[in-house]
Amino acid sequence: MSKEKKRMAFGYLLVMPAFLVVMLVVAWPILTAVKQSFTDSETGGFTWDNYKYFFTDPYQLKNLVFTLFVVLMTVAIAIVVAYLLALYLRFVKSPISRAIGNLYLIPRFVPSLVAVYAMITVIRDSGLVNRISQSFGGDLKLGMMYHAGGMITMNLWFNIPFAALMITAGLETIPDSVIEGARDVGASKWKVFTSMILPLSYKDVVVAATFVFMSNVGAFTTPYLMGGNSPKMLGIALFDQFNKYLRYERAAALSVIMFLICSISAAVYIYTNLKDKDWEK
Amino acid sequence: MKRFLATVLALVMALSLAACGSKSAGSSSAASGSAAASSGEKTTVNLWATGSDNVREIYETLTSNFNKTSDQYEVKLNFMLSGTGTQTMVDMLSAAYKAKQTNTEYDLVDFSGDDWSKIVSLIGQDAFTKLDTSKLPNASSVTAKCAVSPEYSQPYRGTTVILAYNSAKVATPPTTMDELISWIKANPGRFAYNTPGTGGAGDSFVRTTVYNFISDESAMVSDDTKWEAQWDQGFKLLAELHPYMYKSGGSVVYPNKNQGALDLLSQGEIDMCPMWADMVLSQRNAGTIPDTIKVTSITPSFTGAVQSLSIPSFGSNSEGAYAFMNYMLSDEAQDTLVKQMAAIPLVSTANIDMTGYEDLKSLDVSKFRILSIGDLSNDFNERWDNEISTLG
Repeated sequence: MSKEKKRMAFGYLLVMPAFLVVMLVVAWPILTAVKQSFTDSETGGFTWDNYKYFFTDPYQLKNLVFTLFVVLMTVAIAIVVAYLLALYLRFVKSPISRAIGNLYLIPRFVPSLVAVYAMITVIRDSGLVNRISQSFGGDLKLGMMYHAGGMITMNLWFNIPFAALMITAGLETIPDSVIEGARDVGASKWKVFTSMILPLSYKDVVVAATFVFMSNVGAFTTPYLMGGNSPKMLGIALFDQFNKYLRYERAAALSVIMFLICSISAAVYIYTNLKDKDWEK
Repeated sequence: MKRFLATVLALVMALSLAACGSKSAGSSSAASGSAAASSGEKTTVNLWATGSDNVREIYETLTSNFNKTSDQYEVKLNFMLSGTGTQTMVDMLSAAYKAKQTNTEYDLVDFSGDDWSKIVSLIGQDAFTKLDTSKLPNASSVTAKCAVSPEYSQPYRGTTVILAYNSAKVATPPTTMDELISWIKANPGRFAYNTPGTGGAGDSFVRTTVYNFISDESAMVSDDTKWEAQWDQGFKLLAELHPYMYKSGGSVVYPNKNQGALDLLSQGEIDMCPMWADMVLSQRNAGTIPDTIKVTSITPSFTGAVQSLSIPSFGSNSEGAYAFMNYMLSDEAQDTLVKQMAAIPLVSTANIDMTGYEDLKSLDVSKFRILSIGDLSNDFNERWDNEISTLG
């Protein structure tokens, strides 16, 4: 063997242990789950039924549409608010903005269960908001608990800081000189934003959006404590399938479906990152 | 030198992979260790239990109290949190028995009524030691019996689902199921039960509602699928009651988990709900729910069961198991059970200080309706999810 080939073979040998661990712990369970999703629970033979169930049963379709609605709303609001927050932190230099810059990540450090209960205590029909309104003679019942509104609000608690973190990192790479240069030739603030800042930072926005999307599709804690009975979020539907009904093949099918949904957003991410705009080349 | 080092590292990594796989061989040697008894040395009794966190806490108290006073045995608690593990414990035991293992670590097992009948149907009562009452002097005062294979399992506490209500809003609670239904219809939005499958209280309510329509009482302890056809009337009633349930934001809501329903009751959003007696009483005594929350039973009652201890025949320390079982039936242990988790004691309450837990005296274990429908409960929950929760 040539020296070159020997070195390559040796390289592969070194990587082998880590590779095997990843194959065993990650790839093998995924493949078994995919295989299980095509298995008929009674005969053990090949079947499309597990997938057909989730696309033909009206309640399961409602769950799917509902989950996508909640997640897309979360992504949209989180990105818009996070972007505005990031712009504020980047371009406004004042004691307040510095203080916010140090504090905005704190919500993420609160354990999720504690945060959910805190939110529930405030927005439930007998919660803080309701009791404050009662002291003014009213009886304001927000009706957010057990509905999409409450879950979206709770998701924003965790996702706005995270998205803002990623977008701030992206905005930091835009040098002040670029902004100043544009302003020097007479561009308005809006023009500076659309033609300079946005194109330079949109990749980070897509990354943030992808992460927010993927982490919320399979969310469990928030929907379990704050969600309603029907339609359910997919995370809860999955939990029911394998824990309550003990239908493991259907659970496998649903997890593959959720995986495919996430991979669509991942594909969008990869596409935007691969394609270099003309001015980037 | 670098290449040599790199090769050695790679080999070490590969070998450590192989070593991970052989760890399981080590655990079987532990069981044989516990059987060794030399004078003055304590032998280990492995106790297995599942339940909510309050069960874990009570067992930790009871085992540490027992270990302090016993000079022969050391009880080790193996606890699995319910909701995820209960299925596993029954599976673990039946797998061990079917694999014809002997001298295992399963010395003493705590079963709920449901799990006990499930394991007996899976591996038969002979997988367990027939209880020698001469080794259980404290058991003579216990009149309660397990519904299934009573000579193989010793009950030590009772649990039951009762009707919890806010006495400030409800002056006279209903005493029968029919009165409860009329109350629900007369007070829309003031009653809730948790989603079946997330907590035993809601499970008990919906299952008794359905099984009340089945005149053959043996159906309540049967897992024969033929009974599913007779669920229709009960489900019709549940669908009928649906619009009168607790609402939030314009639609009916069934909270998740027992605690979800109890939270609604203690916050005043509802006035009545089915709930575990021990949850209401222990939280009321701890001050986390208001004193106005009271409990009552109705006829026909919700379900109740006895929690029991059994000794698998394939364990390795039956003498120690008997010793701990006997301790569990002592006045001291029963008192701890009452005080720490508001469990229903099964010995005479004359010797136990029941202040704060007087409600427990009114719960008669002999009148409990046992419900044990095995795998049918999965079908039941699925049917409820498809038919009732989707009513919107």
